[in-house]
Amino acid sequence: MKLTKRNKILLIIVGVLIVLSLNFFQKEVKGFFYFISSPIQKNLRQTNGNLSDFFVGIFRGEIFKQENRELKLQIQRLLGEKGFWQALQRENETLRGALELGLQKEFRLALAEIISQDIGQDSVLINQGSKDGLSEGMPVITQEKVLLGRITEAFDDFSRVALTSHQESSFDVAVPDRNVSGLVRGRGGQSLELDLVFQDKEVKEGDLVISTALGGIYPKGLLVGLIKTVERSDIQPFYQIVVSPFFDLSETKTVLIILDF
Amino acid sequence: MMLRKILVYTLFFYLLALLQTTILAGFEMLGVINLIFVSVVLINLFDQAKDYSGIYAGLSAGFFLDIFSAAFIGQNILILLALALFIKIVLKKYVWPPAL
Repeated sequence: MKLTKRNKILLIIVGVLIVLSLNFFQKEVKGFFYFISSPIQKNLRQTNGNLSDFFVGIFRGEIFKQENRELKLQIQRLLGEKGFWQALQRENETLRGALELGLQKEFRLALAEIISQDIGQDSVLINQGSKDGLSEGMPVITQEKVLLGRITEAFDDFSRVALTSHQESSFDVAVPDRNVSGLVRGRGGQSLELDLVFQDKEVKEGDLVISTALGGIYPKGLLVGLIKTVERSDIQPFYQIVVSPFFDLSETKTVLIILDF
Repeated sequence: MMLRKILVYTLFFYLLALLQTTILAGFEMLGVINLIFVSVVLINLFDQAKDYSGIYAGLSAGFFLDIFSAAFIGQNILILLALALFIKIVLKKYVWPPAL
């Protein structure tokens, strides 16, 4: 049977409507795809940093850097043979690091691994979900006490974490060295802006920004980032401040979820 | 033939979405390049006049973009379908000979 043009268009419309109806079971549908894709994504992500650096090396024409990357890839391949033990070791180190920082005493924590990064760049998927006791709104940090973001969607076995740089993210912060407080907003593309800091206060590039408990979104004292640029405006009462976040997704493999604070 | 193309596109965009969310997510040059988006444009540009597989490519690409992002299911499908249709209309009006 040959489909007419009209029937083809009708078929597409019906297809779109069916797909839109999947939103009623969004958690189940997305959860299913994450479940079947997570082993592949986990392996692909392990080569992530090396491969991207490798391409950057080519475009910059740095021959020695390229050779260096190739050697690193060889090492990576050899290390890959011990993949399973390495993963366990990493988890162990993360927990040990958290213990050394006293994080376990401060908060009740859960450990998770980053599986994939959102195409829009400002959210990540972790391999723990509501079955592991995770729920929406829980803060996510690294073992160095660097604030990564908070859980915005909890599936059965996976959770989506919106980074602090997500465009819908905003929370209260402080610049402890200057006794200044303000509001950090995500700008997308792993960048932050610090708002509501009056121009009569003094802030400078390189100042440390930490979270405060105001607003109840995050616990106080988590590392957010460093002030990158400070701009004065004659027409606005506040500074225009850009903050560069501490987190580095290419380096971060495991994260800690604060279960209560 | 058409069914085979649809299956190939589905598999292709699934694998591309996996690459985009893992390896390519860390590869930045003038921002992050969305290869899924680029692929849909290319497929539709080089699609034949009477072939509708470019539209199906937009549909399956949008579906996997939605699955592996925080968007609701359907957001990218609609965007990519509109894009595919737009390219087809422009090609039909200005590029392809009227007989086709």
